[in-house]
Amino acid sequence: MRHAIAGLAIGAAAAWLAAALAALAGSRRVGVRGASWLSAAGGAAAVASGVLLALHGAGTTLHLGSTTVGAATFRIAPLAAPFIVLLGAVAVANGLYAPRYHEPGRGASAYLIAYNLALVSSLAVLAAGDAVAFLVAWEAMALTCYLLILRHHGRPDVGAGAFLFIALSEAGFVLIVLAFAILAARTGSLDLATIAHRAGRVPLGWRSAAFLLALVGFGFKAGLVPLHIWLPAAHPVAPADGSAFLSGMVIKLGVYGIALFGVVLLAGGPAWWGLVTMGAGAVTAVLGILYALMERDLKRFLAFSSIENVGIILTALGAGMTFTAYRQPAIGALLLIVALYHSLNHGVYKTLLFQEAGVIEHATGTRDLDRLGGLVRRLPRTAVIFLIGTLAIAALPPFNGFVSEWMVFQGLFQGFRISSHAVGILIVIAGALIALTGGLAINAFARAFGIPFLGMPRSNQAAGAHERGQPVIGPALLAAACAFLGVGAPLVLTALDRVARATTGLDIHARLIVPQLGVIPAHTDFSEFSPTYLAAFLLAVLAVPAVIYLAGRPRARDRRPPVWDGGILAYKPRMQYTATTHANPVRVTFDPLYQPHINVERVSEDPAGRSGPVHYRFSVTPIFDRYLYRPVVRLVRAIALLARPIQSGDVNLYVFYVFVVVLIAYAVYAS
Amino acid sequence: MTVDGQARPEAADALAQELRRRALALFGRSLHIRTVDTGSCAVCESEIRLLSAPHYDLHRLGFFFTPAPRHADLLMVTGPAIRAADNLLLKAFHATPDPKAVIAVGACALGGVYGEDELVHGSVDQVVPVDVYVPGCPPSPLALLQGLLVAVGRLEERVASLSLDLDSDRRAAADGRPR
Amino acid sequence: MAFWFYRGLRKGIVTTRYPREVDPWTRDLPTPPAFRSSRLTRALADRLVAACPSEAIRREGEELVVDLGRCTGCGRCLAVGGEAVAASGEFLLATAERSSLVKRVPIGGDREARG
Repeated sequence: MRHAIAGLAIGAAAAWLAAALAALAGSRRVGVRGASWLSAAGGAAAVASGVLLALHGAGTTLHLGSTTVGAATFRIAPLAAPFIVLLGAVAVANGLYAPRYHEPGRGASAYLIAYNLALVSSLAVLAAGDAVAFLVAWEAMALTCYLLILRHHGRPDVGAGAFLFIALSEAGFVLIVLAFAILAARTGSLDLATIAHRAGRVPLGWRSAAFLLALVGFGFKAGLVPLHIWLPAAHPVAPADGSAFLSGMVIKLGVYGIALFGVVLLAGGPAWWGLVTMGAGAVTAVLGILYALMERDLKRFLAFSSIENVGIILTALGAGMTFTAYRQPAIGALLLIVALYHSLNHGVYKTLLFQEAGVIEHATGTRDLDRLGGLVRRLPRTAVIFLIGTLAIAALPPFNGFVSEWMVFQGLFQGFRISSHAVGILIVIAGALIALTGGLAINAFARAFGIPFLGMPRSNQAAGAHERGQPVIGPALLAAACAFLGVGAPLVLTALDRVARATTGLDIHARLIVPQLGVIPAHTDFSEFSPTYLAAFLLAVLAVPAVIYLAGRPRARDRRPPVWDGGILAYKPRMQYTATTHANPVRVTFDPLYQPHINVERVSEDPAGRSGPVHYRFSVTPIFDRYLYRPVVRLVRAIALLARPIQSGDVNLYVFYVFVVVLIAYAVYAS
Repeated sequence: MTVDGQARPEAADALAQELRRRALALFGRSLHIRTVDTGSCAVCESEIRLLSAPHYDLHRLGFFFTPAPRHADLLMVTGPAIRAADNLLLKAFHATPDPKAVIAVGACALGGVYGEDELVHGSVDQVVPVDVYVPGCPPSPLALLQGLLVAVGRLEERVASLSLDLDSDRRAAADGRPR
Repeated sequence: MAFWFYRGLRKGIVTTRYPREVDPWTRDLPTPPAFRSSRLTRALADRLVAACPSEAIRREGEELVVDLGRCTGCGRCLAVGGEAVAASGEFLLATAERSSLVKRVPIGGDREARG
């Protein structure tokens, strides 16, 4: 079994490398197709490997290299299993999506090479067994992602978005290296398993420093507020399946890193680690969805929504660490399971949504919500699949988002079991913030589905959209996965429970899954619900009006008058809500947060606008850019300016530096 | 009364008669009225508005105004049916569920003041079938109440037996209402 | 207790009793015309037809056809007609048949004059 797991993982990596090779022929359609199908095949192998790993619960070790070149250890630990499954699922979906999305050419060729190498690097990150392998794989992943964001490098904003991505990734990387360095120095080994064994003996101060460095360093990648600003810049400019990969998988690697440090490497810690993570997660979730509501660009909106979901995942993770620190390990294990489950779910439906955003962009030529409308008639299959993704991400039954968010609440609401009242209150506050984000998310996604798909087209581009030649199998597969992950939640949670057991040593299966397909939150007298029965019930409930309609249909003779509309002559698209106005109540309520700039320009003094148009411009103040990043950048520039005289360009001065260093080295060596 | 899609059903149709009788029995107890303005000078609307005032108080007779034609049993149409309001009047008429009745209110709606030309139909019954005509310019609120009560069959109409010839022996209605 | 309650009790009920009885002030309402056919001449009838701004009065041979539906109660026919025309005092004119509102008055004045 272990060999099968390792074999499949290696097979996946090999398939992706082969896909990268095949992509060299990407100037032709056959090259794009070959690369994509190889990529999808690799993805299937990865899914199989991850599932087997989760069920089997034990990893396998692989040593590579020699003492002369340097060795690397690869070990697939159970904690990586859900992420490997997610990576595989994203690869399969993107592989089926890419042939119809990408135009064959040199750009597509370069993109597919970078993308498949990014897949391999991600797998390497998840399978890394020692710190060096992890770091090398991490950097490779960052660089290949940078390259794939630059697919359309001629277009405006692409360079800036990619630069922001790589800059913040490198900033995080420095902190991650520091974290690993602290642990390696204190435990005397670079091997991750050995570090985990010996971490208990490291003084608490060093451990806390390592955890905080890891939290911030991986937080850059995951998208914690205020480390998130690369997400809304990079996602809109990357191709749709690239954005899907970034949002679906890459930010989960940040989550994986935080989980790795918090749960595995540092072997748990004081409660405040968990509280800090939980607090950061809750704030991220609320701010993420609030900024999402102000976005007119569909992909920027989805990027902010990813930030929101990462907030939810980290809230669950942090709360789990807190519970474990307060001697409630069962609930801690539950929240770990829920964090992994939500990571998987979010990856699936966010990939779906980004792929469909790509379809919309190709069909209409615009991502601007205020230029879309009426797409449900023109892109019917896209509409159905997008609707399923929307229902899933807005946490509506019977889909996977509902089950995982429900479980998050079930875990958080058990805060009363913690002995410290203050901490219990903090957990409840986090639960309240997550509830707020849940409500705002429903608003946001009603807007994200309603404005582009329903109503009348707000522009000619939207009116002329058609679905011929648009990819549909990839997104449809993901939609089916959303349904399966939700309805089949007991199965998925059983597998994740094995992962948690292998990671934390605690088995809560008996207190998690009840024989009648029910799910209970690790405490028998708290609550219970069955997502499977719920799905069956919903179908049965839908059958009632259907039966009534069918049974009553022949007898009643209806008169069908037109809809009463007040007697107006005709509907015009400009009579509809726009995306901006739909979110206006939220904007007004949270005005102090947004600090919007509103600019009204009139052609004439006439307030009724009779002699010309009135221009209304609205923009949200980017407070993190302005108050956090710009001062830091100014400081760095100031320091660099101070250091500039050292690089005078004078060779004699440089020789003088060498002389001084030799003197110092001699003095140090001699003493 | 428009019943089951047919206006003024034939007297010979017993089912339609029965339906009409039952509708009238219900309407006589509670009737919801929706006003439609097809281009009037709004004085008829003022008189209609007065009906809700305490002096005339149409609620005591079981009549209520409603803004939605979907909830209405009766349409009160004022104005000379200008052509620009065709869309409005027909949409309101079709949005009102059957059985329904239409009252044309005011001299304009009955064909006076404005004759038919390219802007105006002249009278409301050119556009929708009218069940009761209420003359006046404007009709006094009491005349409006009489029109409503005639429409629901609670009062008999008087004008058929009215003669405008003062020198004739045939005079006002047999029920001898005081003037 | 509220001031309006006492005031209302003192004033009594002011709501009209219609349809049980018609308020006495309705005597002063402007109403369509009624005619004395014995005083109507053809010439007077033609003057009446010209005076009506709403085309409610027509002359058909020896009859004056008055459409009560078109009448606005403006009173011009009263001003022109002198003794032949008086206010009818009828304002409760609702009907289901449009034709009930078209009344015919014989022009008997010429015969009287001829003797």
